[in-house]
Order: sequence, then structure tokens, then C-alpha cells
Amino acid sequence: MIKIFKSIALILLLFITQQLFAQNATITGTVKSADGETLPGVSIFIKETKQTTITDGKGAFSISAPEKGTLVFSYIGFKTQEIQISKNGPVSVVLQSSDNALDEVVVTALGISRQKKSLGYAVQELKGQDLAEAKESNLVNALAGKIAGVRVTNSQGSMGSSRVVIRGETSIAGNNQPLFVVDGIPVDNSQLNSAGARDYANTISDINPEDIESISVLKGPNAAALYGSRAAAGVILIKTKTGKSKKGLGIAVNSNAVLETLLTLPVYQNAFGQGSEGRFSYVDGAGKGLNDGVDESWGPKLDGRLIPQFYSKGVAVPFVAHPDNVRDFFQTGYSLNNGVSVADAGEKYDYRISYNNLKQVGIVPNSGQGKNSFVFNTSLKITPKLTLTANANYSKLNSDNLPGTGGSRSTSTMLQFTWFGRQVDINQLKNYLDENGKTFNWNNSYYSNPYWVAYENTVSQNRNRIIGSLALNYKIIDGLDFNFRSGTDYYNDRRKVRIAYGTNGTPFGSYTESAFTVNENNTDATLNFNKQLNEDFSLELLGGGNIRTQSIEQNDQSAPKLAIAGLYTLKNSRDPLISSNNLSRLKSYSVYASGQIGFRNYLFANITARNDWSSTLPAQNRSYFYPSFNGSFVATEAFDIKSEALTYLKIRGGWSKVGKDADPYRLINTYAFGAPFNINPDLLKLYPDIVGANPQLSPGAIDLNPNLKPETTTSTELGVEAVFFNKRLRFDLSAYNTNSYNQILAADVSQSTGFSSKLLNAGKINNKGIEAQLGITPIKKAFTWDIDFNFAANRSRVIELDAEKLLTNYVVASSSAQVIATVGQPYGSLFGTAFLRDGNGNIIVNATGAPATNPNKQVLGKYTPDWIGGVYNTFTYKGLSLGVLVDASIGGSIYNGTYSTGTYTGVLASTLPGRAAEYGGISYYYPGNDKTKGTVRVNGTAPAGVTVYDDGIIFDGVTADGKPNDKILPAQQYYKTFRNIDESSIFDASYVKLREVKLSYNLPAKWIRPLSLQGVSVSLVGRNLWIIHRNTVDIDPEVAFNTGNGQGLESLSNPSTRSYGINLNVKF
Amino acid sequence: MKNKKFYILAILAIAFSSCNKELDEVNINPNAPEIPQPDYLLTGAIKNTSDTYWGTTNNLNSSLLFVQHWAKVQYTEEDRFIFSNSSFTALWSTGYAQSVAGLNKIIELADAQSNPNYKGVALVLRSWVFLLLADAYGDVPYTQAGKIKQFVTPVYDKQKDVYYGILNDLKSAQSVLDPAAGAARISGDIMYGGNITHWKEFANSLRLRIALRIADKEPTKSKAVIDEIKTEGGNYIGSNAFNAQLVYQASPQQNPVAASFETRNDYRISKTIVDKLFALKDPRLPVYASKTENVTPQNYVGIPNGSTNSEASAIGLANSSKPGAYFLNPLAPAVILSYAEVLFDRAEAAARGFTTENAEDLYKQAIRASFSQYALTGSDVDNYINQAAVQYDPGNYKKSIGEQKWIALFGQGLEAWAEQRRLDYPQLTASVNTVLNGKIPVRFIYPGTEQSLNGQNYKNAVSSQGADLLTTKLWFDAF
Repeated sequence: MIKIFKSIALILLLFITQQLFAQNATITGTVKSADGETLPGVSIFIKETKQTTITDGKGAFSISAPEKGTLVFSYIGFKTQEIQISKNGPVSVVLQSSDNALDEVVVTALGISRQKKSLGYAVQELKGQDLAEAKESNLVNALAGKIAGVRVTNSQGSMGSSRVVIRGETSIAGNNQPLFVVDGIPVDNSQLNSAGARDYANTISDINPEDIESISVLKGPNAAALYGSRAAAGVILIKTKTGKSKKGLGIAVNSNAVLETLLTLPVYQNAFGQGSEGRFSYVDGAGKGLNDGVDESWGPKLDGRLIPQFYSKGVAVPFVAHPDNVRDFFQTGYSLNNGVSVADAGEKYDYRISYNNLKQVGIVPNSGQGKNSFVFNTSLKITPKLTLTANANYSKLNSDNLPGTGGSRSTSTMLQFTWFGRQVDINQLKNYLDENGKTFNWNNSYYSNPYWVAYENTVSQNRNRIIGSLALNYKIIDGLDFNFRSGTDYYNDRRKVRIAYGTNGTPFGSYTESAFTVNENNTDATLNFNKQLNEDFSLELLGGGNIRTQSIEQNDQSAPKLAIAGLYTLKNSRDPLISSNNLSRLKSYSVYASGQIGFRNYLFANITARNDWSSTLPAQNRSYFYPSFNGSFVATEAFDIKSEALTYLKIRGGWSKVGKDADPYRLINTYAFGAPFNINPDLLKLYPDIVGANPQLSPGAIDLNPNLKPETTTSTELGVEAVFFNKRLRFDLSAYNTNSYNQILAADVSQSTGFSSKLLNAGKINNKGIEAQLGITPIKKAFTWDIDFNFAANRSRVIELDAEKLLTNYVVASSSAQVIATVGQPYGSLFGTAFLRDGNGNIIVNATGAPATNPNKQVLGKYTPDWIGGVYNTFTYKGLSLGVLVDASIGGSIYNGTYSTGTYTGVLASTLPGRAAEYGGISYYYPGNDKTKGTVRVNGTAPAGVTVYDDGIIFDGVTADGKPNDKILPAQQYYKTFRNIDESSIFDASYVKLREVKLSYNLPAKWIRPLSLQGVSVSLVGRNLWIIHRNTVDIDPEVAFNTGNGQGLESLSNPSTRSYGINLNVKF
Repeated sequence: MKNKKFYILAILAIAFSSCNKELDEVNINPNAPEIPQPDYLLTGAIKNTSDTYWGTTNNLNSSLLFVQHWAKVQYTEEDRFIFSNSSFTALWSTGYAQSVAGLNKIIELADAQSNPNYKGVALVLRSWVFLLLADAYGDVPYTQAGKIKQFVTPVYDKQKDVYYGILNDLKSAQSVLDPAAGAARISGDIMYGGNITHWKEFANSLRLRIALRIADKEPTKSKAVIDEIKTEGGNYIGSNAFNAQLVYQASPQQNPVAASFETRNDYRISKTIVDKLFALKDPRLPVYASKTENVTPQNYVGIPNGSTNSEASAIGLANSSKPGAYFLNPLAPAVILSYAEVLFDRAEAAARGFTTENAEDLYKQAIRASFSQYALTGSDVDNYINQAAVQYDPGNYKKSIGEQKWIALFGQGLEAWAEQRRLDYPQLTASVNTVLNGKIPVRFIYPGTEQSLNGQNYKNAVSSQGADLLTTKLWFDAF
């Protein structure tokens, strides 16, 4: 491989040495910015001789020039300046920063800074301050609503995972999350399984937002093609703060406190308590009493009648509602975040050191986590030509217990609360042990006490992570640099999962230790060449190579049943330990090149090319090449338009292709081990030949594919950027069309093939969409008002799954309903059981009057929204600034698992209609009190001697022969019929949220200077304050339980939260 | 200059080939074997298949309820036949993707290693799996099943063709199985400890079972199969010691029934069978049922099948009988084919005139074998057999054999259900709370995933067999 790099270097050198120079008198000088900082790297060009140079680290230059020549100084972010050489002697040049956003500089792929106007694709940046003040412990959340085309879904609260997708899902089965790159080093953002039913945060949350200088979002392959394999879903480039911007020593202290409270809870009914068919009486909570093993709320009216209850020791006590019995379980969470940083810069060095401590306490009792992070960034000028940069980021995450999620009865938070008797007084449960040390609960047939679950069944997490890199920059000659960078991202993540002895359903308890070791190394060597070729043309070239290795190792040990209670060690096991480990490694080599030619600063052409060799593909398909082209045309400069009304107009466009390799070990089928089966002595007597212990092997579930090819994504993008009225109106529009094909996906096949799925290399998906940003500044005086809109709409369509067109559906995820990719439909279809309907759309009922289920499952919606957008209003007056972000996700559907379960269990307010005469229930009786005879409506008076019920409901449907349904169903039966019809729990997932309100104040200099402070700012921040609009009941429609593609299936998710806090930042 | 180019190319070529080799090595899976051993596969296939055969979905929560051996005391939806097309996926997925796939691999390895005994054993087990599938669903993929390289969407064979196919497979298994001392040995056999003689007996007993399964529809074929076995000089399972069964071990290798009761408390013995055992003063009652937790007058109380949640709850968990300790034992066997069943089958073959054996005598032997399966002997057994209600009725052999077989097959839900559907005895009635208009399920619904993954073949099967409903009668179920 090294040979390849060398040959590329050789080619570049040959190219450069052809530039020959003529000598004249020597001009020396320095270049500074308006505020007196020296500017290194400024391009200087002599119009007459076409000679060029750049300034050194101190902003000094030296060049031979004819005596009456013209020097042209150009520097990214500054206005180009021409000066006439009038006399010999040092020249002092002051460059004015270009106020023009239009000369804005952005970080692009591989960390290359480019003038935004030269780019043929959309790229959007977010400044560090926005992140630091947003006070999200998971930095992904701070992107929500601010960047067009970026969709963030947060799971629950501040400790869970968040998923980010840019421009829709391009991969049917693979990872659709963008690649995260921190200071040039790709870092891991996976979410490693969910042992212990916890929603572990995606690992990019290890990066402390306080340390971020800027985030640059490269949307999709056009912008990110140079990153290759992982660019199809876009790249999020994070640049951390350095000491460079400081003049001398600077110390900053940041402190904030944030409170977290419930934002949503299901809406419960408070009219009927636990039981079934109106009857309930407690003896042991496990079936000995009257319906006391029934964990549903179809019991008697909560009218204060006297009934023995779980805490009353057989005494009949008033049966009354406890409307806040779920709400009262939750507590106010908080987080305290304190950080300090020191930065300094001298002539030959700069550095920044920061330390940050975060302590979080969750809304679920006994949940919380802590994070400590240290960051050290430095650069040293070893010689005038050689610069060494080193970055190190160490973070430690520690949690004794994360909040339980999902539907596991031993750990879930919300499972029990969707079956929670409405009469249960949660305060009676706080003491969760009875006098015998056993779990004390309102129900003992299925659940343990919710506090037992929270305090005894814990999952701890401990992650130690280091992200570090070393980089060398060597200036070979003016305009030609050699860069070498090697970086690593290494972490250990350990979880300890405890289920206590005596937990309902896990009577012996269990103990599991899970450990992950994740490591990714990237080494890059590049040659960069920049040159103003002549007055008209500029050239930037880059060539380089990358070696990447990645390994993920998992080790699990589990004591499936504890021998004695309360002791959590692997040796304390009744049964043989269950162990497993898994090691996944990959390695790839890449070479890449990019070039930009600029013409007169208004016409730019960019080209990139990359070839990868990946270990995960078979030798014959291992090497894959992909190019990209893009260009931009700045019309206002080309036609020299200098109008107030039209300040800037740029048109851009491009085409790109990226390849993507597979996961490791996807070529050859393997067999799975089962625990050895140990024969007992009796059988050994019968069959002397038998062996005592028999290892087990079983076929794998996936038929792998020895002929895999790389996945390919091509994307075409067009865009317009325009600025009107001296920047009072800013507009940026992109349209793109992305095709992903040869997709590697384990498509489910009929198991009668002998496999559950087959690894295909065939799927094809199309995404097209538009993104718009609009900025308006209605008032621009001492008081300024900025409005920033962003909008994105993406339309996806699954074109095909397999080449033979045998398969029509790919199952992405399953709960009750499924998420599938189905040919001809948008990605992420929700698929499940539906009502049976007649030709007119009426729902058909069966003989009992209950809605019938269509035997064929139906597409019931899609989880992806029609469009997403945000409006950010910023008001500034002197040091005071108020920001208000409202964001929206419109369209798309969600399967509301909480509603489905809560309807079945009768706890939700939506189950009230019809449950008694006062709720509109119809009166009916059974002839002769014989239930087999069916229900008869009471017209006038009922026959003597029959029991009359008042909870009758007639389902609004028609019989098979088209007559209106007139069968009365008891309410309990009525509501329970919907459980098996997924369609009844599909809701529109649209929402509009007040995402962020931020009030910050920078104290005036005259106040703080006497205290020898450089800056003091105070801000008040509220996040997720209000769901302004939603069409779902009982849940926050913005839920994700993980970062995978199986979204849109809500299942007993923990309530979402709002947070508000105060932030203080002091700079010395 | 030419040389220089050559050197550069040569260096590049070497660099590439060494890189390729390195990358190949990185991608060797260090976690799982690519080439399996037949003995480990055999253990895996027996264990996985038995788990699903004896486990919750196919046994406790469906067929044992349909034949009214067991009933539900909590969450009674299944006992009222409220199912969806995701209710019956386990038999399909394990049967095909674990059992058939693993057994096919054993057959492939056996051919490669010239070990016909592995092949024979795998064929026997595979035939049993296909039998379970066909009995439960009707038409199922057979000829194109488990051949993903050729068939991504296997066609469904008619149920009759599946039975005929596995009869052939069993015949060839029978012929390749070689118990001779010098023949190739097998390991990993956790059923018969590598004893090929017993595999041959199991194979013949399965052929006998299938012959009777089709006897109402294809009596000539049935007789031909039985004659064929006789001509071959084949033996059937000849004692309870050699029942085809997997004897489970302590946790975590415990019997699926024991595993269920460790964490759940959903099942009780059915009132139907308790009443029958009481009526016949059957000594097996204390084996089949546990005493109620609360002291009750009868000690053994069954739950009526199809109770509503509140009806079952009204009887109460403590006032109703769990299955007997024999069945709740972690070490209990999952019985696949018992000596008693062989005797009942022989009795029926005789009754149908397929053989010249004495039907009544075999019937009595079968009942005795069932008792001895649970170590019940002595005068109780004689008294039981001699009572009028148990006596063999040559005029209605289906009733005699059907009722006694139903009792003898207690716990073997899938087989008991197949035989009850075929013999139509005992005559069971559905609770008024059930949802099939008074009918009891006579088949499993195909997994819902078949509609999306193998849609055309699924549609063909439905149009040939009848609607994909619990109440659509299968081919073998003639009456």
C-alpha cells in the first residue's frame, strides 16, 4: 500500500516542479487582520509575473517582484486586496475580513477548509456556542430543528439514545446514521445492544458540547464522497476548540444546572378500578381473591365502596381512584454540569485543556449517570516548516443504574403502568418489601413492585473512552504540504445487569456482565497543493491514502439463576454460567484524490475520486472506485452585479457516487453453538456408547453470500443560494436525487427455505427531496430580529429488493406491527393487521358484533415524515439575546403500543365511553341470564329476573351482508377486540414542538473589566418545553427506542421530558 | 525506462496480493465454525426440535388446549381460540430453519464422510419434522424445502404428497441404517445413544403412524406400507425403555413445561380429562394431575376449557390442579413416539383388516403399556382394563382406540390432536366462550409472514386446500 502512496506523491511532485520562477527584486512584508492578528497562509500573487507565495506562521512573506508590479493578497474569509509596489522595504498589509457571508469558510471532507462559494453542494454549520448553551447531554439532540434535512429523534429523557438521519434513509438494511468525525478522526457512534432492557445512549454523546468549536454537516454523498464507505448517510464533522484563537492565557469556567420534568404521560381514566367484569376483591394478588390476579382495570366503579385491597390485610377499605398514581412515581430529574478550560497560544505553540463534570439524576427513581471528560489539544511548531498537532479526549461515563425501558416485566418502567390498577395508591408501595423481605405489590401474579424494579433490578454502565490523534504538517515548498495523521478511538463499555432474587417471573434472579471493547484506528497521509496559477485560475489538489482498522469485541457472562439472594457475582450461580463472546474486525485501505479549479473567483469545479479495498468483501469484488464532480457559479461576481437588492447569487450542482462495504463475516455460512447437553446417568446405563456431554451446533439463520459486491449510492444535487437586501434576506435551496443500489440486506425469506433470511446484494431505493433555508432580518438596529426557517421534504421509494423480483417485502423490525421496506412504497412502511372492510370502506363485524380482522396484513402507514422544519427566532439587544426554536415533523405514522395495551387493560381515559350509563353505555341483558344467548337491548323495561347491564357498546360497522351492526358488546369485550387489530393503534405522528427557548446575557465589558474578567454570560435555557400540536394520544410521537431503522413502533416507551436550566460562563 | 515500469508494476502486484491475503485473513470469522461436525448438529437438531414440539406455542398454548388435556386459568384467549396469523410461527420456523436445515446438513456430511447411519438418523428425524408440519398446517413445502440455493420461494406440496414423500424417506432410512458391529458409528445421539437398532424401530413405528394417518383416505397405501415393513422383517418400538423421546436434564436443559411453570402460572389440567379419569377411576389421574393447592373435596379439579378470564379466575389458581409432578419435573421426557402408541396403532391396523393380528389383545396391551410408562402396575391395571367402559368395542374401534389413545397420549399435544381429528374420538365440545362458532381448531394457520415472503405459493396452497382458517379440515381428516 505504501508503494501506492509513494507513487501518488511522486506524480504530485512532478506536477509541481514544473512551475518555474523568474527572479527580480525582493519584496518583504507582513499581513495582519484588522484586529492586529498576523495571518499565516495568505496567498500572494504578482499580476505581472504570475509568481505566487504565501505568508509564513508570523504573517511574513518575501517574494521577488518587478519594481512596479501589483501584489494581490487573498485569504479565505478576507477581502482580496491589491497593492502597487511603490518602493522597496517592508510592506505592511491589513486585510479586511469579508463581511460577506459569501466568502464564508466552511470545513469540508477530510477537514479541508474551503470557501463556501466554491462548493457545489450544501453544507451547513452550527457554532459551538449554540451547542454549549443548548445544554443537551447528547449533542445530537442540539441539532434538532436547526439544520435543514437533519432529522433527530430522541428516545426519552436525557440519558437515552438519539437517532439522527440526514436526507432520509438511503440504506434499506444498513446503518443510516451519518459518520461522525472529530478533528479528522472518524469516531464511533454505535449503540451497543440493549442488555438489561436499557436504552444505552449512542456513544457520540461522550463528546462534551462545551469542547466543540463548530459542527459542520455534510449532507449526503455529494459533500462527503471523500469519506467513502460511510459517507452515503452524510458526515457530521466536529471541530473541537483549540488555543489558537486566544491571545495569551485564557481561562473559562462554565457551570449549569438543569431540571427535568415529565412532558407526557398516558391519559388515564379514574372511574373504574382493578378487576374484571366489574368485580374485584383482594386476597393475595395472584388469583386467590376475586379477580385479584387480573392486572387490568375492568373492575368495580371507583365510588368509594368498601373492598379489601392489597395493603389492607383483608379489611374492606374505600375503593377510590388515585389519579396521579403513575405521575407520582416519577421524580424531578436534574443535571449539574461544571467545566473549566485553560487555553494559551504563543509563537510556536498553542494548547487548550478542559475538564468537565456532569452529574445527572433521572426522572425514574434510582436512575442517573455521571460523566467526566478531559480534553487536551495542542499544536507545536517544531521548525518553521513542521507542525505537530496532538489531540486527546478522555471521557468516563459512570452509571449505577439507567432507567428501565421496554416491555420486560422484571425491568420495565412503563409496562406495569399500562396495567396499573387505577385504585392503586403508589404511596403504599414505596416500602417495597413486606415483613418477610419479599416483594410487596398490588399484583403478585405477574409484577414485582415498581420500586423493587427500580431499586433492586439495576443495570450499571461504565465506559472509559479515549479519542486521540497525532498529526504532522510539513510544508515542502510554498503551496505544497504533506500531512500525516493517525488517530484512534478506543473504549471499554461494561454493564452489570442485576435481577433480584424473588423478582416476579425471575424467581431466582440473575446476574449478567457484558463488556465491549471497541477500537477504530485511522491513518491518513495526504499531499495538499494550493496555487493561484495566474490572475484567472486557482488550483487546489489533494492526494492521499487511508488505512483503517476497526474491531468490536463483546464478552458476556451470565449467572442465569442466583444461588443466594443479594450477592451479585458470577460464581453465585445455581445453573452453569452462560458465556458468549464475539469479535468483529475489519480493515480497509483507500487512496483518494480531490481537486478544485477556480476561475476568477466565481466559477469553480471540484472533483474527487476514491478507491477502497475492504476486508469484508470477497477478493474479486474487494476493490471499488467512486468519483464525484461538482461545481459552483457565483452569478453576482461573474456579472459584477453590485446591487443592494441582489447581494449574492450562486448556482451549484454536482453528481457523486460512493461505495459501501459490508459488515464483517458476511460471506460464508457458519453454525451456532448451543450449550452442551449433558446426559444423565440413567441414560448412560441404557446406552453405554453414549457420551456424557454433547456440544450442540445449529444452522445460522442467514444464508450468507460469498459473492457480495459493494453497495453503491449515486446522488445528484442542485442548489441555489441567494442573498438580498444586504443580507436582510438569505435563501438557500437544494434539491437532490439519490439512488442506492446493490444494497446488502438480509432479506427475510420463507423459513421453508431452511433459513430465516438471505443475504442479498440487490435492493434499490430512491430518495429525492428538497431542503430550504430562509433567513430574514426584519429589524437590524441596536435591536436585531433574525428569523431562520429551515424546511426539508424527502420522498423515498423502494424500487426493488432482489434481482429476480421474488421478494416484495423486507422486514426492518417487528413488534405487534412491523416496519417493512416494500417494493413500490416509501421506506419504513408500517405493516400489520387491519380491519376487514367491505367495498364501501365500512368495517365488517363478525357474528358477535366485534370488528373482524382482515386475514391479509396491510400497509398501514409509514414512519418517515412528509416534511420536517424549524423556525428559529433570535432577538438581540446589546448583550441580551433571546432565541426561540419551534420545530415540526409533519406526516408519517406511529404504532402506539401504549394505546394498544392501555385499551386492552382499560386504564386509559379513551376506554371510558360506553363503560356505564353515564358514559353513554347501552342497557342490555342476557335472556334468562344465559350469556350464551347473547345480548338483548333493553327497550322500555327488561323482563323480570334478568340482570341488566349498562356498559353496552355497538361497534360502528356492518355485518357481512351489509346490514348495520346492532349487536351489543360489553365494554370490556369491546375494547379488548382492538388488541389484535394493529390498524386501531396507528396514529398520525405529526408534531410541532417548542424545542428550545434560550435567553442569554453577556455582561457589558465596563462592568467586568474592573474584575479582570474577559467575559461573563448568563443564560436561561428551556428544552422540549411544550408539544404545541400532536395527533397521538398518550405518548410523545417523537419516540425512538434505539438508533436503528426500526422506528415508528412505540412500545411502552418511557415518558419524554422537558428541561430548563441556568448556565453561567465566565472567561478570565 | 521499460524496466522501471515493469518494476513498478511488479512491486504493485506484490503489494496488492499481500494486501489481499491480509484482508482475507481479517475476514475469517473467529466466532463460529464454517464447517460443522455431524454429531454436534445431531444433538442440536434433536434438542431444538424437541423444545419446540414440547414447548409453549405448539403444545401448552395450542394443541393441549384443543384436545382438552390442559386448560388455561389465566390469559385464556388461546383457550377460546383467539389466535392470529403470528400465533403459529414457531413450528414453521424451527421446523424448517433449524431442524430441516440442520438435518439436511447432516445428510450432506454423511454422504461426504460415507457414514450412512448419520444419514439414516437424519432422515428419520426429518420425516418426523415434516409429519409435524403436515399434520398441523396441511399443505406445506416439502420437495423444495430447505434448498435455498435453488428455491427462494418453495412451493407447497399437497399434504398427501408430503406423507407419501416421507414414507419413502423413512423406507430409505430404514435401508441405510446399519446396526452391524462393523458399521460406521454415530455420536451426539441424545435419544438412543447411537444404538442404530432402536433408530430402525423408531423409523418403522413412524411409518406405521403415517400409514394410519392416511388410512381413511388411502387404505390401500396404508396396507402396502405395513406389508412392506413386514416383508423387510422390520421391528417396531418394543418396550417403554426404548420409546422415542428426549429425556431432559436439569436447568438450563430442563423440560419446556418445567421452564414455563418456573416463571408463569397460566395452565391447569382440563376439566374434560379430569372428569374422564374420574369416571374411569383411572390410576393415571395422580400422575397426570397435581392436587389442588387449597384442600378441595375432590383433590383434583380441572378448569373447563374456554373459560373466560373471570370464570377461570373465579375458580382460582389455588383451587385447580396443575399438571402432575411427572410432567412438571425438569427431567421429564418429551415423548415423540411411545410403545403404547405402537400397540394402539397395531390394534387399529388389525381392526381395519390391514393385518391379521388380534386387535383386542393389542388394545389391552397398549393400555398396559401406557400404565407401565408411568410405572403403574398390579391389580389396578387389570381392574381398569376389565371394566365395561374400557372394554374393546370391535363394532366401534375408533371410539375404543380413540378414547384410550387420547388418555395415553396425555401431554403429547400435537400427536393427540392429530389422532383426535382423525379418529373423531373422544368427542369434544367447544365452550360457548370460544370464537369459532362452536368448532374446535382442526389446523394451524400458516405463519403470516408466508403471505409476504412466499405469497404466490401461499395463495396456491389456500386455493387448493381451502381458506387459511383454524376450521378448514385437512386432507387426512376425512370425517
